Amino acid sequence: MSYYFAIIGTKDNPLFEYEFGTAKQGGDGIARFAEQARHMNQFIVHSSLDIVEEVQWGNGQMYLKCIDRFYNNYVSCFMTGGNVKFLLLHSPSQPATTNTSRASTSIGANPTSPQTEEAIKQFFTEVYENWVKTIMNPFYNVNAEVRSPVFRSRVAAAGKKYL
Amino acid sequence: MTPPNHAAPFEPPDHPLAPSSLRISKIRGSLDTQSMASVSTLPYRASNASVSSLFASTSTPSGSRSVSPSGAGTPSRMLSGSVFGGLGTPGEQVSPADRPEDPRNLILQAFVPHIAIHTSSDTRELVKDKGFKDGLWELLRPFGERIQGKVTVRDSIGAGRAFEDFTVRFVELNDGLEIPDAIPSSRKSQEGKVLAANGNKLSPDVARRARTGGDIQAIETLVDRHLAYSEDFPSINGEDYLNFRDGGERNPNIPSPFYTLYLRRLLSGMPLAPHETFSHPVACVIAISSRNPSPIETLRKLYDESSFGDKRLPLWVNTEYLRYYVLVHDEERDDIAKSMTLFEQMKRHFGLHCHLLRLRSSQCVATDDDSIPLPRCEWLTASEEIAEIEAREVEEDPEDSVPCIYESDTTAIKTFIREMVTQSIVPSMERSVATWNDQVASRRRGFTGRITNMTKKWSVFGGNSRASSNGAGSSGSSSNYDGLQGFYRPETPEALMRKLADYAFMLRDWKLAQSTYELLRSDFNNDNAWRYHAAANEMAVISTLMSTSALSSKIRSETIDKMLEQAHYSYITRCASNYGAIRSLTLGMELLRLRGGSSSEDAARWGLKLLELKVVPVVGDALVKERVSICYASKKGAGSGQWGARTRKSAMWSIRAADAWLTLGKPQQSKQRLDEAKAKYASLLQPDSIKSFTAANTFLQSLEREVQLALYPESGIEGPGGMDDLIDTSIEEESEAFSSRPHRRSLMSGTAPVISGLGNAPLHGDLLGEEETGNPTLQFE
Repeated sequence: MSYYFAIIGTKDNPLFEYEFGTAKQGGDGIARFAEQARHMNQFIVHSSLDIVEEVQWGNGQMYLKCIDRFYNNYVSCFMTGGNVKFLLLHSPSQPATTNTSRASTSIGANPTSPQTEEAIKQFFTEVYENWVKTIMNPFYNVNAEVRSPVFRSRVAAAGKKYL
Repeated sequence: MTPPNHAAPFEPPDHPLAPSSLRISKIRGSLDTQSMASVSTLPYRASNASVSSLFASTSTPSGSRSVSPSGAGTPSRMLSGSVFGGLGTPGEQVSPADRPEDPRNLILQAFVPHIAIHTSSDTRELVKDKGFKDGLWELLRPFGERIQGKVTVRDSIGAGRAFEDFTVRFVELNDGLEIPDAIPSSRKSQEGKVLAANGNKLSPDVARRARTGGDIQAIETLVDRHLAYSEDFPSINGEDYLNFRDGGERNPNIPSPFYTLYLRRLLSGMPLAPHETFSHPVACVIAISSRNPSPIETLRKLYDESSFGDKRLPLWVNTEYLRYYVLVHDEERDDIAKSMTLFEQMKRHFGLHCHLLRLRSSQCVATDDDSIPLPRCEWLTASEEIAEIEAREVEEDPEDSVPCIYESDTTAIKTFIREMVTQSIVPSMERSVATWNDQVASRRRGFTGRITNMTKKWSVFGGNSRASSNGAGSSGSSSNYDGLQGFYRPETPEALMRKLADYAFMLRDWKLAQSTYELLRSDFNNDNAWRYHAAANEMAVISTLMSTSALSSKIRSETIDKMLEQAHYSYITRCASNYGAIRSLTLGMELLRLRGGSSSEDAARWGLKLLELKVVPVVGDALVKERVSICYASKKGAGSGQWGARTRKSAMWSIRAADAWLTLGKPQQSKQRLDEAKAKYASLLQPDSIKSFTAANTFLQSLEREVQLALYPESGIEGPGGMDDLIDTSIEEESEAFSSRPHRRSLMSGTAPVISGLGNAPLHGDLLGEEETGNPTLQFE
């Protein structure tokens, strides 16, 4: 399971990008996206904004769950109050690894299961908390890229904890 | 033939940008294989006028046709789950009026009655004298696609409707038996094997086999040919391209000519198969000529041949079709008075389904007074068209090859076809529909029918209640399906109902067709007749979508989605028939897209599904990507924010299509898709937001650059300015990403080609060839 997490600003510009892999079940926390297809992640996330803009009016929740799919890549979304979007692209690792029997119940194997949804929700909530703290920085401009290493490490920690 | 002259001078310079060099190597690899494949098949491409006329279907600009995206369809009120889903504007319900590339029109023209032709040997000689070596069939075929005037059809409730564009297809009796699938598969079911055996036994003839469609690989080759041609002679495309620039966004309702060609070839020459009866003959024309010494006996003999003799169609074809007797009178050698008396005699013997066709027997040449070229047949199969192109290419004299015909003959043929269709074929089809509907379908639809069906389904033990009505085929089981041989006998109620539904479909009575397919679906499912099951599902989807009634999104997801799912699953997994899967999914996608609103999103989803199944070979794959982009583009947004539109998705798929085209060595197509994508990104509320995504933007630019290189190879060989720019910007980009730089694009695409163009125009005058001089404007885009 590989993840690509992006925070998209109100002008559809990426404010923060982070790639990581699963840390559960012996995962080493390194994303396994194909090198040639790395740009696709950005295309997919960007194109999912179409869906976000439609789904966000549908319910009052900030967590919009899994909103889009592109081949084997799933995109989950979380809207913050300031119209900044958290988008998480998750693609289950295609070739079944050694522990298939255990993986079938894990969040990695089934991207639309309630367990996965819940885990991603917790991840988003934790990132959101850190996000709010980060952008409260008086030197932060709206829609500027976030380069804070602290924030990055917090996101990494959240990823490791829940996903 | 693009690859050799584009790829040879195209040396990838060693530049440090990782993604682009990666991409280049990928392209070169596939280019080589691609060019090898296409080069080996054709000896030498002579670009004479007659060859180019064959490519006219794809090279004429589609923008020049009358395009009215309006159409007074009913405003589709859709109760959709999403907030913006139901906002399809009324204009989106497109009427199929006078647009040959409209998929609905394609379907109307594809699923048409087939008329078999069986002639005596003297008729064949007469037509051969006229210069048509394949017999009467060859002469009649183009005219079946254009029936003069309106044809009135009564539907099941007795309301008459007149169709301007009713067509029929003429086939040689026994044509179109299904070819054994190219890929022998272990999963292949019984049905396939039986068919293969039949096909081998009955038609060893190569030409006859070529007339059988459904060969995906041939379609692929053909479209590739057309594409290669348009790459070699891009002048018209350039014009098209300019039109596109003027008119802003391309109208999504006009598919690319190559896609139309793909669909048309996919649907032409449907194989004769047990599970669908579209290509089973509705009627058989039995023809003799006035040269025949013993006419009545010959007619009888021909009839017997078609019913019992060696020309008999396979067991699963219903032989109770109409016979139509034609006397071909030779205007130049025989006496008309004699023919008239003979014709009267024929009428006495065979009833009213007779016609006297008066033709001149001498060969017509282009210089004759009233000669006109034989109209081109549009519904050739892919193999036939390839054969035709190849034949033209090796030919010396381009003028020689177009067959001509006297105008008086065309009038005679047109009158004959019109009379036959309006007075014999349509009425007899209507009658069959009424009879079967009365005797088979309504009984099945009624209360008792349901009970019978229920008992049939649930009685495990004594389930022989229907054995009396069974033919000899079924052995004790309650089903009519002959599982061993894989078909229903033509007299069983299931086969008759399938025929009823197909007839209704051909007569455009969508409601009746749809309800009958609906009944059949469950029957075939119970009998495990998977090929039948898939076909019934497919046709149920198509007939539902062809009728104009609005569908709520709930119904859509409950019926259409389920049926399409079952159709393609059955086709692929249970029958190993990729052809069927491709056909059902592309048609479903096109029809859904036409409905606009949230349906177009469904359409895109099915397109995606088709790609995921990996059943479409490379050219088709690129075309489908293009279509997915157009499906997304046809979902219009609401309000000033374009909320609910799918512009970004559409742009992404355009880029994917551009990438695919470039990999196939078709830079012209790639360029068009790329321009579309850029226009789409520019039309966003946040224009060009994709530029702030580094990797994506780098990819986009390298793609752009490669297309440029492939189109104008000289601009890359010595363009130090261009190279430097590229390196500069990429470094700059890494150091301070995300800062908005409005001038970057003009640096990239603006100056580099200009510099190189100025620099080497005089040097390479000869080598540059026509592309450079032909459309210099393109370079400065």
